[in-house]
Amino acid sequence: MSNTRDKAGFANSRISRRTAIKGLGAVAALGTAPGYVRYAGAQTSEPIRIGFQAHKTGIGAAYGRWYEKTTMAAVKLINDAGGINGRPVEIITEDDGTDPARGAEVVAKLATQHKCDLVYGTLFSHVVTGSAPVAGELKVPYFVVSEGYHVASGKLNRWCLQPGITDVRSQVTSVAPWMAGNLGKKVTMIFPDYAFGYDHRDYLPPALKAQGAEVLAQIAIPPTETSFTKYLPQIPSDTEVLYHVMVGPAVLTFVKELGEFYGSSGPQLFGFIDSLEAVDINSPGLEFLDGSHFWEGSPRYAQENDSDAQKAYRAAVGIDDNGASLQDPKDISTAAHMFGCWETLYVIKQAMEACDYKSTDDRAKLVEATEAMTEMKEGPEHPQGDKIFNGKIHQAFGHQNISKLEGGKLKVVHRTSIEDGQYEPQADYTTTPL
Amino acid sequence: MRTALPTRCMSSGSPLARKGRWIAVAFAVAACCLVHPDDAFAHASERGHVLLLPTGYYILGGAAAVAVSFLGLMVLPPDALDRLAALRLQLGHPPEKLRIWTSLLGFGLFVVLVLAGFHGSRDPLSNPLPLTIWTLVWVGVTLLQGLVGDLWRWVDPWYAPVRVTARLFGGPFARLPAHFGYWPAVIGLAAFAWFELIYPAPEDPAILAIVVLVYWLATFALMLIFGHESWSRSGEFLTVFFRLISRFSIIGTSDKDGSLQICWPGARLSTAAQVPVGAVVFLLLALSSVSFDGLSKTFLWLGLNGINPLEFPGRTALVTVNTAGLALTFAGLAAVFFAAVFIGERLVASVEPFHKAVGLLVWSIVPIALAYHLSHYLLALVVDGQYALVALSDPFAVGWNLLGTANFQVQAAIATGSDPAWVIWNVQAAIIILGHILAVVVSHGLAFRLHADARKAVTSQIPLTLLMIGYTVFGLWLLASPTAG
Repeated sequence: MSNTRDKAGFANSRISRRTAIKGLGAVAALGTAPGYVRYAGAQTSEPIRIGFQAHKTGIGAAYGRWYEKTTMAAVKLINDAGGINGRPVEIITEDDGTDPARGAEVVAKLATQHKCDLVYGTLFSHVVTGSAPVAGELKVPYFVVSEGYHVASGKLNRWCLQPGITDVRSQVTSVAPWMAGNLGKKVTMIFPDYAFGYDHRDYLPPALKAQGAEVLAQIAIPPTETSFTKYLPQIPSDTEVLYHVMVGPAVLTFVKELGEFYGSSGPQLFGFIDSLEAVDINSPGLEFLDGSHFWEGSPRYAQENDSDAQKAYRAAVGIDDNGASLQDPKDISTAAHMFGCWETLYVIKQAMEACDYKSTDDRAKLVEATEAMTEMKEGPEHPQGDKIFNGKIHQAFGHQNISKLEGGKLKVVHRTSIEDGQYEPQADYTTTPL
Repeated sequence: MRTALPTRCMSSGSPLARKGRWIAVAFAVAACCLVHPDDAFAHASERGHVLLLPTGYYILGGAAAVAVSFLGLMVLPPDALDRLAALRLQLGHPPEKLRIWTSLLGFGLFVVLVLAGFHGSRDPLSNPLPLTIWTLVWVGVTLLQGLVGDLWRWVDPWYAPVRVTARLFGGPFARLPAHFGYWPAVIGLAAFAWFELIYPAPEDPAILAIVVLVYWLATFALMLIFGHESWSRSGEFLTVFFRLISRFSIIGTSDKDGSLQICWPGARLSTAAQVPVGAVVFLLLALSSVSFDGLSKTFLWLGLNGINPLEFPGRTALVTVNTAGLALTFAGLAAVFFAAVFIGERLVASVEPFHKAVGLLVWSIVPIALAYHLSHYLLALVVDGQYALVALSDPFAVGWNLLGTANFQVQAAIATGSDPAWVIWNVQAAIIILGHILAVVVSHGLAFRLHADARKAVTSQIPLTLLMIGYTVFGLWLLASPTAG
């Protein structure tokens, strides 16, 4: 490929495609100038090539667009600060169409044809599980930003890592103590009847039980359902908390019908922002959610006590106080998830520096260096907060946010501890050879 | 509605840059007027806003509007429509000598695009080849062809190369066998539809570059053998499609002397010549492929095939089922259309041959095909068109700014949210309903060419009108249904 510089990023709110290209060019030029020190120590001026497996098209495109913006923002800062091991970072984007079969092809293409040092950035679980075997076969580090439990479960392989975002099992487990202690101890769950819903179905009840709370009913909704009136009467009348994780186009209808069912009363509501990621929380039909609570990985709305790192991260990615694009207030970001791209890139940087990564021959060293990481401190590299990394299961654990929707905004009312979301590891990737 | 105006003006004063400025302004104006959900960017929630709208009333209203139009035509004097359709404003003869140069420009652009497909960005939203083929040509040019006139004729990337080559080496070398009819174009369109709708990666720049290059070369060879005009008329599917669609437009050439004329939209359909069965099949395939594109993403279709729409498995997993679906949709539409014409002719004991009736009445499909195309793909034009402006300004991703639009901030969320969803839905519904009403009008006019007797002409149209009412309902339902993929 004769030209693979900046294959993405022109949709980026802060970094235009051309400025990114120009930036790389400028870096190269400066690197040869007398007195320029930042890249001078590198044995090679060849860039670190990070293959970005992007959901540019298909069902994940809205997420993919923001993952790309976050990625380009982080890479710009990394390069401005001297790159990795004295070498600039280059992002090579390939679209996987949010298609597992294409995902596998893309991983192979990035690893072999583009000769990327690693592959990174995948979100959708089925694409991750479809692509992971290829990463294992080709022995290319595969850093996903998926929040699926598939990495931590041990079902993938040693080349797959998720150091920049917590997994759904951890998220579900971590919100249970606050929910039981503050909203009520009798919980009814409504979830879509497939894998995403099953993670919630399976991991919330034991976590609630540990808090002396109980699940009264679990109502699984067929994924193709678009009206919910026949399911709502199944909610037990003594329900204190309704835990909802509906996703898809019918979410607005679900909330509207829920409001019509309960009128001005009803149980406390607790949901996952996944239901409304990239959607304006003040859309007509969502009025019934006012006063309810949501899990957020990273807050969509700017908070009064945001750290300097969080403020800098939001400014660099280009989102306003409402979590929308600075250029277009209608363009709502995927704030709860996309921070994972930022943090994963800095984990890659740290691991490459730790193992003195030089070329694709050092891919195994990069995996081992990542596995050796334990603590990640909140700061510019980890604006979402501290993390603990479990090298055996290749999974990061972190704080979660519980936000209340009031006045048209989500305000963080509780931040879970890292311990709230930890569970007993059930795998150990480090025992398998690289 | 937000406009898509560039956030920064271009710095260059070159002719290319000036041209870019005009293109940008023209596009921004178009973007102000046109909105439609875009498949490439469709987040799962956008249809969610539409699900809250009273779309059922629109569907009922649309069906009623088409039915009332038919009833209204029954009482309208037959020659009233003829007089309206015959109105023409003469524009003189087009500058034919320029055609070779405009075609050369089209060819030049094609070469740049193919090179960009091989050597430009790997990102389908940064590479100008997929954006131009799928958005600017398949959507934008279709829109211009249908509403303005046959512009494709002037930018067709084969005309100049074939003419120059034929001048050097002679040709054509053979006559296109008459029995081929429109069937080569039918095969071409079927392959194109399959590649667009079912092949897993039609937007991959390198794959698309290979496909369009191979197709261009094959077409070039066939045009050298059979002649440019001969192969364009019934073999090259894109030209055939654009010509058929342009019969609806307001600017056309006179059937008598080739001069340019302005007329009412669809007016030239009523005087169109009977087409062979191959062309009938071609138009039905064009309409059914767009219809299936909508159907294949609905929860209904996915549910019927055991696919969880919330965990859409990607196009690769659906190749077989969607290939069957595309074929079935075409077969279903064709069967219903032929049956409607057949029953209509039998109702009035017509003595006209069946192929003559379908060859004439199929022209009424053109407004429907155009309406489906516009309502289905307009947002793709508005959103991906912005990406195209950026990509064309720097086709090889090396930092150029040829059109001055390389720094343009793409408004990817231009059609998201509840207010845009309302606007989008209403525009789509209006296009679909208007398209079908025009189809009824055109069909009515054509029926009078088959049956001089007014009662017979009207009666023969009852089954076809029922089909159009049904297709109105289907079209609106497709746009109102929850979708994924």
